[in-house]
Amino acid sequence: MAAGPYNYSYIFKYIIIGDMGVGKSCLLHQFTEKKFMADCPHTIGVEFGTRIIEVAGQKIKLQIWDTAGQERFRAVTRSYYRGAAGALMVYDITTFIVRSTYNHLSSWLTDARNLTNPNTVIFLIGNKSDLEAQRDVTYEEAKQFADENGLMFLECSAKTGENVEEAFLDTAKKIYQNIQDGSLDLNAAESGVQHKPTTPRNTLSNDQPQSKDGCAC
Amino acid sequence: MADREVADVMTTSSSSSSGSATNNPLSRKLNKILETRLDSDKEMLEALKSLSTFFTSNNIRTRRNLRSDIERRSLLINEEFVDCFKVAKEQLDSICEDVQAMNECCLDMTSRLKTAKDQTHDLISQTTQLQTESQKLQMRAQVTDVFLSKFQLKQEEVQILRGTRDGSLHPGFFKALARVKQIHTDCKVLLRTNQQTAGLEIMEAMALQQESAYERLYRWTQNECRMLSGDTPDINNQLCLALESLQDRPVLFRYSLDEFGTARRTAIVRSFIDALTRGGPGGTPRPIELHSHDPLRYSGDILAWLHQSAASEKEHIQALLKHCAATSADENIHDVLSHITDGVCRPLKVRLEQVVVSEPGPVLLYKLTNLLKFYHVTIGNILLSNSSLLNTIDEMQTLCLKMFFNTLNYNAGKLLEKVELPPGDLGTTSSLSNTLQLVQDILSSHDSSVIAIDARKQDFTQILNCVIDPLIQMCSVSASRLPTVDMATYMINCLYQIQNTLALYEYTDQRLEMLNAQIDAHVDTLVSEQASFILTRTGLSHAYGIVQQHQSAQGPLSSLHGMDAVSMKAAMSKFDSYLASPDSLTMTQCSLLLSAKQRETVKRRSSELIIAAYQLIFSAIMDVQNKYAESNGIVPRTPDQVIKLLS
Ligand SMILES: Nc1nc2c(ncn2[C@@H]2O[C@H](COP(=O)(O)OP(=O)(O)OP(=O)(O)O)[C@@H](O)[C@H]2O)c(=O)[nH]1
Ligand SMILES: [Mg+2]
Repeated sequence: MAAGPYNYSYIFKYIIIGDMGVGKSCLLHQFTEKKFMADCPHTIGVEFGTRIIEVAGQKIKLQIWDTAGQERFRAVTRSYYRGAAGALMVYDITTFIVRSTYNHLSSWLTDARNLTNPNTVIFLIGNKSDLEAQRDVTYEEAKQFADENGLMFLECSAKTGENVEEAFLDTAKKIYQNIQDGSLDLNAAESGVQHKPTTPRNTLSNDQPQSKDGCAC
Repeated sequence: MADREVADVMTTSSSSSSGSATNNPLSRKLNKILETRLDSDKEMLEALKSLSTFFTSNNIRTRRNLRSDIERRSLLINEEFVDCFKVAKEQLDSICEDVQAMNECCLDMTSRLKTAKDQTHDLISQTTQLQTESQKLQMRAQVTDVFLSKFQLKQEEVQILRGTRDGSLHPGFFKALARVKQIHTDCKVLLRTNQQTAGLEIMEAMALQQESAYERLYRWTQNECRMLSGDTPDINNQLCLALESLQDRPVLFRYSLDEFGTARRTAIVRSFIDALTRGGPGGTPRPIELHSHDPLRYSGDILAWLHQSAASEKEHIQALLKHCAATSADENIHDVLSHITDGVCRPLKVRLEQVVVSEPGPVLLYKLTNLLKFYHVTIGNILLSNSSLLNTIDEMQTLCLKMFFNTLNYNAGKLLEKVELPPGDLGTTSSLSNTLQLVQDILSSHDSSVIAIDARKQDFTQILNCVIDPLIQMCSVSASRLPTVDMATYMINCLYQIQNTLALYEYTDQRLEMLNAQIDAHVDTLVSEQASFILTRTGLSHAYGIVQQHQSAQGPLSSLHGMDAVSMKAAMSKFDSYLASPDSLTMTQCSLLLSAKQRETVKRRSSELIIAAYQLIFSAIMDVQNKYAESNGIVPRTPDQVIKLLS
């Protein structure tokens, strides 16, 4: 096995939030396993997934915390926002979330704003875009909500995989851009981003002098 | 020639003259001459030709001199011939001499060659021998070379294994080490052949090489691991390879892992304290302790932090052991994780204990217990149950639950200690409603609980035992000085309140049933009290008592004291005025019942009793044996009419 999966320069922490049943776990599963889980049980508390991606030639490990949407876990999942570099806020395009339960999405957003860093990238995801016939939330109104609140936005389908990769990657790109801008402090232990030196410190290159004496160490 | 011819002629003539006796020799001679064919006898022709050259004149003298001429000529020719031959002979002699000299030379050479040959024979055989030997040796040299290349380390490999003074590891180290190992293994083949000595020696040498290489590798690994105490350890592939190699030396492997564990343990403790007290730089995210005033959030944040760290640490150790055999890796991952997370137990415990002992109240304690239970399960997916972090969480959960029940018990004790007197309206006391509110708060917190449903049932029973029993006891004590009717009413009201509260929650059926039974008992009391109250007020109670006990031996009922027709008639008229407004005789206590349904029940059931009593008296009066005159006048209403009026 090559060193591949473990060689990365950054770790980004993500959190996925949103009402129950909107497809958070499916999105994570689609992103990490490239498969759709048709009957996914409700998440209990929080679950965890990782994947290594590449942004601007840099290997980045995404550490993704998928939270339970059920109300009874709200208190628990709030503790996981801390130090997230990216927050994926998911709704279901087939339910009236933006209009009739506008407050719902706003309350997720309030939580995300209150419990994360000011420069945490918040990405709004309208999931289940494959169910066009049952659509209840138009692209435009969700887009407007996103624009008004300064969120990145995409419609995805955890089922077909459409835009799933993009949502996760665009978030990472934005975070990476923040690092380049200097707006994100890398030294912060809990900025949700951790930097690793890529060049191994203790590997000897061949041209270095070898010890001539017999001492093994 | 001519001479011989002449001689021949002469011999012929002489022989013919002597030989032939019968013939005339002359004639024969003539014949012969005649017969001679001169043209065919070439010799004769030549001789004649030659003769003609010098015999120019034929005369007697010349004929007489012919012989000597010819002889002279012959002599001349012979002399000439001799002269000529002399030269030839001389030349031949010289040739002969030369040949002889050559022969001598050759002989000499032959003998010399022979000597040389004799002399070189040894040398040649020696050379041949040496050649064969040399070939053999060359062959052996080749074999040895191959052998050495297979069974001996190259110089650079030795160097690589020895490493550098600064203790760093050459990239080719693992390949070299693998070769040492391979050679060591291959030696076993040697031991099976007749090369045992070589095998043993090489084995020993390789064993030494291996030992020192492993020792060095261990030092290096140890050093590397020691440096992995940053927030995010840089686990490079070389380190992973090192651990893979060290698997062959279980003790060193173990020590290396311990070193790693210790480094990570230090790191996680430091990060934990930082997260608690300092937060990120610039205060973002804010320190967890900032929320210590909110016990639930505070504990939740702490536990979530630990959960996430444990998950990250598991990833790190998995990365470190990615090359190792699955079985050894699995086991070690848990051991090391257990060790890594061991360090945070102390600060975690201190903080949770602070929260628990700060008397946050039973509801919070209960929520906290559930939170700890949740994290015990959640973190239990990462760590093995025997890890000290899980033990600590479990311990805290037990403590929390204990404190919770302590608080409940303490509250219960307080209830019984200073029992409130029942209020004038026989309604609920404030301690009852407060306690019920508490129960409600506790049980509702289960709704938002993160615990699996089946785990709740046990808690519920225990909580109810802990609160409801003393509560009922308190009510009884509080009611103990009250008169019967007041007591029944008060108790019904209290139990009803309790029942109302519990009915909202699951797993309370048994309790509710019990409460129902208790309520029923008190309702029974109230019903009979109400009925006898009415009978007394209407003056029928005396008559009812007598009728109930009357036996025919006593004689007719009308003859008994106070049962005469006049008295009965007076009582019946009173009863009749009761029937006109039945509610006028409802005891005040009954209207104090909180539950309308119970009020109704008491009314209905007491009416039923009254009706039954009336029926009994009615039939007794109508009974001719009792000898009431004008019995119809005494009891103007039939029981059916009474039923109608009272329902
Ligand atoms: N058609 C369609 N169905 C989807 C899609 N994503 C999720 N689902 C379905 O939606 C249901 C809920 O998905 P989950 O991923 O479990 O939802 P969740 O947000 O994780 O729910 P909680 O864990 O309770 O918070 C599942 O039965 C999925 O099969 C999608 O993109 N298209
Ligand atoms: Mg889920």
